[in-house]
Amino acid sequence: MDIRFEGAGVSYGARVALAPVTLQLNEKRIGIIGLNGSGKTTFARLINGLTKPSVGRVIVNGRDTADAKAVLTDVGFIFQSPQNQIILPIVRDDIAFGLKSRGYKPAEIEAKVEAVLQRFSAAHLAERRAHELSGGELQLAALCSVLVTGPDILILDEPTNQLDLKNRGLVQRLVESLPENAIVISHDLELVADYERVLVFHEGNLVADAPAGEAIRCYREIASR
Amino acid sequence: MKSLFVEGNSAMHRVSARAKLLALAALGVVLFLSTNLLLLALAVVATAAIYFSIGLPGRSALARLKPVFLTIVIVALFSLAFNPWHVAIVALLRLTALMLFAAAVTATTTIAQFIDEITLLARPLERLGLLRANDVGLAVGLVVRFVPEILDRYSAIREAHAARGIKVRPTTVLVPLVILTLRDADNIAAAIDARGVRRHLN
Repeated sequence: MDIRFEGAGVSYGARVALAPVTLQLNEKRIGIIGLNGSGKTTFARLINGLTKPSVGRVIVNGRDTADAKAVLTDVGFIFQSPQNQIILPIVRDDIAFGLKSRGYKPAEIEAKVEAVLQRFSAAHLAERRAHELSGGELQLAALCSVLVTGPDILILDEPTNQLDLKNRGLVQRLVESLPENAIVISHDLELVADYERVLVFHEGNLVADAPAGEAIRCYREIASR
Repeated sequence: MKSLFVEGNSAMHRVSARAKLLALAALGVVLFLSTNLLLLALAVVATAAIYFSIGLPGRSALARLKPVFLTIVIVALFSLAFNPWHVAIVALLRLTALMLFAAAVTATTTIAQFIDEITLLARPLERLGLLRANDVGLAVGLVVRFVPEILDRYSAIREAHAARGIKVRPTTVLVPLVILTLRDADNIAAAIDARGVRRHLN
């Protein structure tokens, strides 16, 4: 994974959502923390081209995110609400959905769907309907839907948000076990406590970029003001 | 997210999605060619038999039809106000038969099947450069997907009114309903783009 922010920032009129940032990311696990509205999600959406920078540019694995089409192959994104992530109501259909548009043949799609279901021990969810799933199962289904296309980088936006302790533990173990590079946005400090690198955002600015312990201390100080 | 699809193994479930959609289109044409009250009444009976054979419990089968049927009654009443009575009855029977068969098709076809078939149907138009078949299939699939979501949102807003002791009025329901629906649409659009489904876009 090689992500480079070259003075990339986002403004909406006079409002600065993210002040220009210059940095390079290539660690296996990166955490992003900050108060609500601090610019975390904007930063993450720049990585897969869902949001275009107003200034500067973002390069992911050598490709400019201005060409979102090219970047989307490399970057998978799991949104805050997995309910919104799941496009089709039946889990198997939803997992296959992203593959169809990539031109895979039906037999290839079936094989890839089965493989991802096996990989995450989620075969029992295949024929279930999304609205019947628990929070943890929904996250699992969303993960299968995104990883079935084989992205190199996975961005998870608040993956443990609204989950009970049991499902939170399930998602944490899942994220830890992923061979893919992962960027995790979270208010759940325990989730990112062992990460190699954690970025702290505050009021649209990157205010800390450090190993987890130091970054979390900085965040606690901001939150206590 | 809820779905209008009903799992089952009825005769309608076993018919291919393509055959069902073609039959629906053909039925629409035939119904609008006929003004024979007996024929239209028979069509209502036949489509009702099909709809109530798909395995939905009676009460929820009727509940699904309620909003559309009310609209049909209003259309028929308008027709009655400006036309002879039999014209209004023709409109009522035509639309009711069409509603019953369309509801049966919707309940026995998954959204993925809808998207596949509509995409295939739109391919010739794509070859003429008129549209993108994948986008048309996706749009139709999303319409079907959103119907139960919007009904759920409506119920939640009504409950919120009741919880606060506020009388339900069209203005106080419609505004939050439209805003929430647009927000949902934005979220779904972002999820679709993030998964690279509309790959021609940039």
